Amino acid sequence: MKVNKTLTAVLALLMLATLLAACGSNKENASNASGAPSESAAGSKAPVKEVTLKFWSSLDPSSDQGKMIQQKVKEFDNSHDNIKIDLQVITYDVLHDKLVAAINAGDAPDLSWGLSEWFGEFNKLDALADLTSYVDGWAEKDKIYSNVLEALTVDGKVKALPNYLGIRALLYHENILKDAGISAAPKTWDELLGIAQTVKEKTGKEAFGIAGAGVRSPQELIMYLAQNDVVLAEKQSDGKYKNTWQDNPDQLSKAAEVFQFYQDLLDKKAIKTDARTWGWEEEDQNFVLGQYAMVVNGTWIEGRSSENPEGMKDVKIAAPMYKKTPATFMEIAPLFVYKSSHPAETWEFASFLLGADYQNAVNPSNAPRSDVVNEGWGKEFMELASQGVVFPAVSLGGITKVMEDSLARVMLKKEKPEDVAKWLSQAINDSLSKTGELSGS
Amino acid sequence: MLTLREKKIRRLAIGFIVPALLFFLLLNAFPLVQVLWDSFQFKNLLNNALSGFSGLSNYAEVVKNEYFGTALKNTVVWTVLSVAGEYALGIVSAIALNQQIKGRTFFRGIIIIPWVVPIVIAGMTWTWMLTPDYGILNLWMVKLGILDEPYYWLGELNTALLTVVFVNIWRSFPFFTISLLAALQSVSKDILEAAAIDGAGVRRRFWHIVLPQLKTVSLTMIFIHIIWTAINFDFIWVMTEGGPLHSSETLPIMIYRYAMQEYNFGNASALASMMLGFMISGFILYYYFSVRKNRG
Repeated sequence: MKVNKTLTAVLALLMLATLLAACGSNKENASNASGAPSESAAGSKAPVKEVTLKFWSSLDPSSDQGKMIQQKVKEFDNSHDNIKIDLQVITYDVLHDKLVAAINAGDAPDLSWGLSEWFGEFNKLDALADLTSYVDGWAEKDKIYSNVLEALTVDGKVKALPNYLGIRALLYHENILKDAGISAAPKTWDELLGIAQTVKEKTGKEAFGIAGAGVRSPQELIMYLAQNDVVLAEKQSDGKYKNTWQDNPDQLSKAAEVFQFYQDLLDKKAIKTDARTWGWEEEDQNFVLGQYAMVVNGTWIEGRSSENPEGMKDVKIAAPMYKKTPATFMEIAPLFVYKSSHPAETWEFASFLLGADYQNAVNPSNAPRSDVVNEGWGKEFMELASQGVVFPAVSLGGITKVMEDSLARVMLKKEKPEDVAKWLSQAINDSLSKTGELSGS
Repeated sequence: MLTLREKKIRRLAIGFIVPALLFFLLLNAFPLVQVLWDSFQFKNLLNNALSGFSGLSNYAEVVKNEYFGTALKNTVVWTVLSVAGEYALGIVSAIALNQQIKGRTFFRGIIIIPWVVPIVIAGMTWTWMLTPDYGILNLWMVKLGILDEPYYWLGELNTALLTVVFVNIWRSFPFFTISLLAALQSVSKDILEAAAIDGAGVRRRFWHIVLPQLKTVSLTMIFIHIIWTAINFDFIWVMTEGGPLHSSETLPIMIYRYAMQEYNFGNASALASMMLGFMISGFILYYYFSVRKNRG
């Protein structure tokens, strides 16, 4: 009986100790209230004791690229006695929610992958470190595309680093176009709409593919808006943003033309009816299988060649067609560096990830460095870098949702393009107002 | 005055209750009170400039939301159709499996399969089967001449919600089946035989003898499922994410959007509190009318 009591007491103590240990904060990784590395440790000597850096990545461990990333991280780890990298693989599907939860709990990792759409949010959450002093003092700064670095700079402060680029180009199945008697990819919207019927009649396939829903649809919409000289939200004199379409009849009319383009794609059967609600999976899969002729898409499609060699063998690359100005969407996948208590070590690792050696090994076709361009798809995509457009650096959660809704209004509900343009303009400003980023608010 | 033994029993009882009480206070009561409290606060993670007591402004913002009416209507349609379908299919299958049919044990075993399939897997599998380009269901329907061409069931405004309702019924009806089957087996065969001897036909025996005896189980099941279905998030999120254009968006999806896409926890808490209010009001109304009916 006495033994039982003792055992129970020991077990209870053990459980209590475990609970307390779990609740305790990891001082090594705790956030620094002062935050910005430039204030606390720029250029300071690395501590003698080992520092563990938490690095959340969405790499695919089964892919060659994923394996290469793991190998390179291990190499860095082995060559630095004072730095240990705790690499955690978290898919993009859940990474955003986990980061938001971690940031709000004050337990963000030191570095993470991310999407460009999250940049404004994380900056607004005041979670990102100011990297200006590190980047300015970095010998390889000029190797990073200047417009890429500019897109990650807010109020003169570098708040994230480019992980890789997702520049979009027009990909086309040469054989489908040939079967339709078309020798070159269209250069303008009108040319695309002009050949749509011929392609359908002669091949039974649609000329073009879009993502009408999901995360990619706002990326495509902002590209078409830019191709017609329309800006989603402009920075105003007070440093905040505003959608100005309703104040500017020319912008409103041009935005309506973009929505009219979407309706024309449907009416002229340039796209499948189902493409109205396609997400990126359907868009990619159907293109890879050669179900339609052309799509504006990224370099990752090249990776599908191994699984669909037959469907991908005739794929060629061209600049996206446009209305007034050549433009493409440039997805700058950021490497987020969070406020940390060991910024010098974090920068050391971050600069390794930005280095030519790592980028050559991991991102030969889509590196953010001008000196890392392979001779395959990468070269043709990177030539479009100068015409790349990006999302404004504001909280985009609400804005991308209303952009997606605007496409559903114009394609599913068949609302008038002018009405949809007005609605979207108001909805964008409402969203900016909610987050305190609307100019004049 | 308690004896030593009684005191010991009381201490032991308290010892057993305390963990459950702590669990309830920490994981149920505290979050609930916090949600109610937050619903009256400005709490937007992306806008720290605005904070403090908000009065009813969160509630007003939610009600004014363009898609609030749609989400409310969708929640009612989703809940009523799902539970009605599950019950109808559940009772039919339970009666069938209560008959002396060949392979009864086998069918009783396999009917539970949809219920044990995780929602995410079931949702993704059905989404794949319903795809217009390579989904097996569209292929069959076109081959059988039911459709002229494949139809995007989850991508059209007028069919997205109903399609998810159908899949939800498919997954949940086995729970009704096994519960009602258990209740059916407890219906006295003697009474049924006596009624048959007295000339009561099959339908009369079902409506006047069997069904009344299933009333308690049925009501319990229906009430549990109304709650489970109304607050269900995962099935709709996996299959449509509330789209296209909010046509399958229910209140829980809207709460998620407020909280996890806009980080507006004030609005999310207001909507969650309203939903709690709707549910409580519904049950109070039901209780009131059933008490009145019983008195009558």
